[in-house]
Amino acid sequence: MASSIAIAEVRPVNPALRFLTIVPGVLLLAAVGYAGKVLEANVGKYAKAHHWTFPNIEYVLWAILLGLVISNTVGVPEIFRAGVATYEFWLKAGIVLLGARFLLGDVLKLGGTSLALVGIEITLAIAFMTFLGRVFGLRPKLTSLLAVGSAVCGVSAIIATQGAIDADEEDSSFAIAAILALGALSLFTFPLIGHALHLNDHAYGVWSGLAVDNTAEAAAAGALYSDAAGKLAVLTKTTRNALIGFVVLAYAFYWASRGQAQAVGNKAKFLWQKFPKFVLGFLIISTLATAAFFSKEQIGALANLSRWAFLLTFAGVGLRTNFKALSKQGLKPFAVGAIGEVVIAAFTLGLVLAAQRVFGW
Amino acid sequence: MSEQVQAAVPAKQRGFSMDAWAVLLAFVLAALVRAGVFKHIPW
Repeated sequence: MASSIAIAEVRPVNPALRFLTIVPGVLLLAAVGYAGKVLEANVGKYAKAHHWTFPNIEYVLWAILLGLVISNTVGVPEIFRAGVATYEFWLKAGIVLLGARFLLGDVLKLGGTSLALVGIEITLAIAFMTFLGRVFGLRPKLTSLLAVGSAVCGVSAIIATQGAIDADEEDSSFAIAAILALGALSLFTFPLIGHALHLNDHAYGVWSGLAVDNTAEAAAAGALYSDAAGKLAVLTKTTRNALIGFVVLAYAFYWASRGQAQAVGNKAKFLWQKFPKFVLGFLIISTLATAAFFSKEQIGALANLSRWAFLLTFAGVGLRTNFKALSKQGLKPFAVGAIGEVVIAAFTLGLVLAAQRVFGW
Repeated sequence: MSEQVQAAVPAKQRGFSMDAWAVLLAFVLAALVRAGVFKHIPW
């Protein structure tokens, strides 16, 4: 079944040709995202005019739902797939631009707190997923990939680790499918749990950033709650992403020591290659905003550019998720991922509630 | 197994990574906003 689960293959082709191949898909992302905005603005008004009781659904959810409907009914035609796969590109550009909405002092303060929480989360997630993988008898490298995917940053971490530990592509595919399926479920469960527990924006945003694995889903889960929660979810998730190199390096050492992966030569070069560069971009824009390089109006313009980039991302989250294809990826990796995610979500929720009391969020 | 899931593991890339291109685009947009080319971005 060739459906739109993930990223299209990257082939070395003429740059101009590659640009043309992504145009239809990017236009589809824009159309679905904008339709989400139009529905947000009009459905509520229409329901009110007809005296219907209808919940206020934000553009984030509309864009994801429209994408899900297209992907799971008519499917995403081949011509759009390369462009739809750019949703991660827009996500990263959006995160860099979001830096304008954070003063560097806040980034360091919140990032420092997040770093401590992320350290605990990564340690627990890796230990627990490794334990579960053994209990369920998964192949060891598949267990490593699931552990990295749920501990650090979803698909990117799995792809980075697959190369570093010489894992099979089949194992990567299983791990990616499990992480994507669980990420899609988190979009609907996290806001419900957050509202049920009356979490404030700060606590909910940090929790989403800690517990939702893929960056796009973490940003979406945060934005579904509120704009402020979305900002904090992205900041916390970015802190998690920043640690990807260290976790992948540790796994590379582990598998090399067992003679099942190539030894790592230059560690600094390895770390730099794995380090997500958009984290640096985010910090640079935040530093410039703090130094008053941008006027208030310009910061508003950058914030809106960031919102447009995220809009394309949210449309892409829906469009690339095909539940039928995900369900064919094997029950065991999904079960391990699901049990692990529930435990990690519960643990990080407890961690956030404790931090809320300590730091007075 | 889905072909698309297998294809999620990218072939070795040359030149800039996707991350780097995204950062570059964001910087170019920020520079254009700073230079006053884009004065107001509606939402």
